Amino acid sequence: MPQTRPDLGAPASYSFPKPQRITVGGGRIVAVDLPGQQLVSLRLVHTRGGAAEPLDAMGVSALTGEVLEDGPEGNSSLAPALERHGAEWMSRVTWDAFITGVDVPVARLNEAVRLFADAVRRPALNADDVVRRRDQLLERFWLEAASASTLAMRSLGGQLFTGRYATPLAGGPVRLADVTPEAVARFHADSLSSVAGTLVIVGDLSGVDLEALGTSVFGDAQAAPAPDTAEPAPPPGELPRVLVVDRPGSVQSALVIAHRAPSRSQVDMPRADGVSEVLGGMFTSRLNMELRERLGYTYGAGSRFDLRRDSGVFLASTQVEADTTAHSITSALEQFAKLRASGVTEEELESVRESNTVGLPVAYSTARAVAGALVDIVVHDLPDDYVDRNRAGYERLTKDDLDSAAVEYLRPDEAVVVVVGDAERLREPLSSIGAGPLEVRSPESLWT
Amino acid sequence: MGQYTLDNGLRLVTVPASTGQVAAVNLWYGVGSRHEVPGRTGFAHLFEHLMFQGSGNVVKGEHFDVVERLGGEINASTSTDRTNYYETVPEHALDLILWLEADRLSTLREGMTQEVLDNQRDVVKNERRQRYDNQPYGTALERILRLAYPEGHPYHHPTIGSMADLDAADLDYVKSFHKVHYGPDNCVLTVISGLDPEDVLARVKHYFGPIPARESAPEAPDASLSAPLGGPVRDAVTETVPAAGVFAGYRVAPYGTREFDVMHLASAVLGQGQGSRLYRSLVVDRPIAADDGGAAADLLPFRYTDSLLLVNMLSRDGVSGDELEAAMREEIAKLASGITEEELDRARAVLERDHLQSISGPAGLADALGSATQLLGDPELVFTWPERWADITAEEVRSAVERLLVDDNLLIVRFDPETDGEPAGGVPETAAP
Repeated sequence: MPQTRPDLGAPASYSFPKPQRITVGGGRIVAVDLPGQQLVSLRLVHTRGGAAEPLDAMGVSALTGEVLEDGPEGNSSLAPALERHGAEWMSRVTWDAFITGVDVPVARLNEAVRLFADAVRRPALNADDVVRRRDQLLERFWLEAASASTLAMRSLGGQLFTGRYATPLAGGPVRLADVTPEAVARFHADSLSSVAGTLVIVGDLSGVDLEALGTSVFGDAQAAPAPDTAEPAPPPGELPRVLVVDRPGSVQSALVIAHRAPSRSQVDMPRADGVSEVLGGMFTSRLNMELRERLGYTYGAGSRFDLRRDSGVFLASTQVEADTTAHSITSALEQFAKLRASGVTEEELESVRESNTVGLPVAYSTARAVAGALVDIVVHDLPDDYVDRNRAGYERLTKDDLDSAAVEYLRPDEAVVVVVGDAERLREPLSSIGAGPLEVRSPESLWT
Repeated sequence: MGQYTLDNGLRLVTVPASTGQVAAVNLWYGVGSRHEVPGRTGFAHLFEHLMFQGSGNVVKGEHFDVVERLGGEINASTSTDRTNYYETVPEHALDLILWLEADRLSTLREGMTQEVLDNQRDVVKNERRQRYDNQPYGTALERILRLAYPEGHPYHHPTIGSMADLDAADLDYVKSFHKVHYGPDNCVLTVISGLDPEDVLARVKHYFGPIPARESAPEAPDASLSAPLGGPVRDAVTETVPAAGVFAGYRVAPYGTREFDVMHLASAVLGQGQGSRLYRSLVVDRPIAADDGGAAADLLPFRYTDSLLLVNMLSRDGVSGDELEAAMREEIAKLASGITEEELDRARAVLERDHLQSISGPAGLADALGSATQLLGDPELVFTWPERWADITAEEVRSAVERLLVDDNLLIVRFDPETDGEPAGGVPETAAP
């Protein structure tokens, strides 16, 4: 006989580790000591990302991120050098930041940091390497976009924005070709080598000389402010509307229902994220329960915000069996409407509140995860106790907060429904779903 | 580390967590797709889905609901050799998780209905579409296994199974599968937490102790190989792919053997990291292969039959599949002429780094411990694994490569894009993106 169900006791109180901050030359260090965590995560954050790129050099950040891997000697020499120290290079370009880093066993930290600093500050940037990496990136665009869900996500920008966001972060399949080795060198000189940035270090830091690490990474580079931002305008076109990106023979359709949202600093995080969690942020969220667990149309469905310094996007996404595409869209939109009209249940409120408060020890159980939170704090200029403040926000959350957030942040009437699938099969069923006018495009026509 | 065996055969491993207030729970059951019989492919994995659909005292979806409310992580996966279920939660929820796991182990059959079976069958069919049928090169693994192991061999088919077999699953079979494979004697339970090991043991005994062992353990289908591969064997497919893709595979020794470790190093020299030979030669120097960041080669580990060393690259624009395949095979063949100490050192460092990365969080550590215990009988191996590579010499790698990475032992799966006027079966001719 099974035992009776145990009561859940009270959770222990949790505080995010308080980071140590020091200034070294023009740069700042934000460090968290996790005793016993032998794998150190180190991240150098520059607060200029893809959004700040000029329109004649779209993709220069992403390309530079790749070219840094060629190292001070050029010819793809950095990664092998780091590999010999058991270190792993990472670089990530977002709309708002340029992040480089290494994950390395603490015993080899100093050697790895020396290589890392040279790689970021003094790369060769050989023209041959830049052209080789650029051509690879251009070809990779279509290799990756051969996956229906990737193509759907990349199609969004041009539907919601004019300006830089209309072209994918890495410059897309066309415009990146205009980025020259000179443009890469200029970007590197102006935005990376001369700008100190902020260094995030997390791991077992007993015996680590942070000051010396800072000197090694920052050199004589100077501090620089984050770029000014202005909210980009939407493109013309009726809303809501449906865009079918043709993928002949597709046995599933990739769907994204997306609309504009306020910027990161304008959004009230616990309320907005909370309502997104109810709609699609968790396995037990409404979209997944309906489309997967009740209808069996999909392997999974979800939603999230993509919030930037100057603007934002809310999106719900899934991949469904081709013949269920139309019903999947109407069912998903019904879930939007229902949440706006009737709000959340007490159960859902409790679930949102609990998952974002008692779960923090799980969320921050690795050095990488703690480093990720600190990078977010640096990029968006948040207070060091942001994680704890956010938790307090969730603890205060009420049903009214989430109900009003559903109306404020879910805007199905302003949505673009992007469907990557077999247009011949979809045109007819999608023309009568009441989600606005329908346009069919080939993938190649989306970026010029 | 604590290691215990309950009277009913359940093995428990406990290890302290390196960050506070967290508990990771991981159950490795010794059942996977290798236990499936013809006509029932995909069943072990479909069954894994059903473990979330309710048991005697738990309703459909409750596992997810409970864990997500706790801000925790929860999932499960099925491979050829095992099925694992895992949760990472705040430490105060450990008892509840143990209870949930014990309930579906002992009473799943009481919660099972035709309705949830039908629903999850549809979900799994969409999982198959999403991961295999609607992805470029998505059927590669299925084709590789078909070539690598003979008809009727338990590794001949992929874990996801076929659409027809998924359709054939019925409720009686679900219940008998649970009875035959799901017993405490077929489970390794790993708990990572800040609690005293004796405390964890007492809790595990409380929830799992009363569950009886299976009456008997079924015999796994025979996975021995009576004949060499007889290569090169080949499967060529022309379909809507963005570039030619070459997948080369070689049979190597089972996971857990020294020869496996030797070939693991060989795969790292060949195709792991940007310092690897294939990356240097075919991505940087020539360059005819698409940039994969240095991830062209790896081992597909199987415990109970030969593992596979797999090499995969995609061609650049204007490079034919034939040209890429020839270049890859040439580069692979060169390994038999010897590798340098420097290459071997880099390979060791890369593998060690990946190993450390995989056990750096409580969930990954718990999974590695469950694996080492279930497959190799010794959880301590997790902490000493990199030592296995320390005394393997360059000559040992060279000589294994000379013996194994040969055409007799080679399978090739080739994808080539459709060209105008050469439509693939059933798909209307259109310009491919």
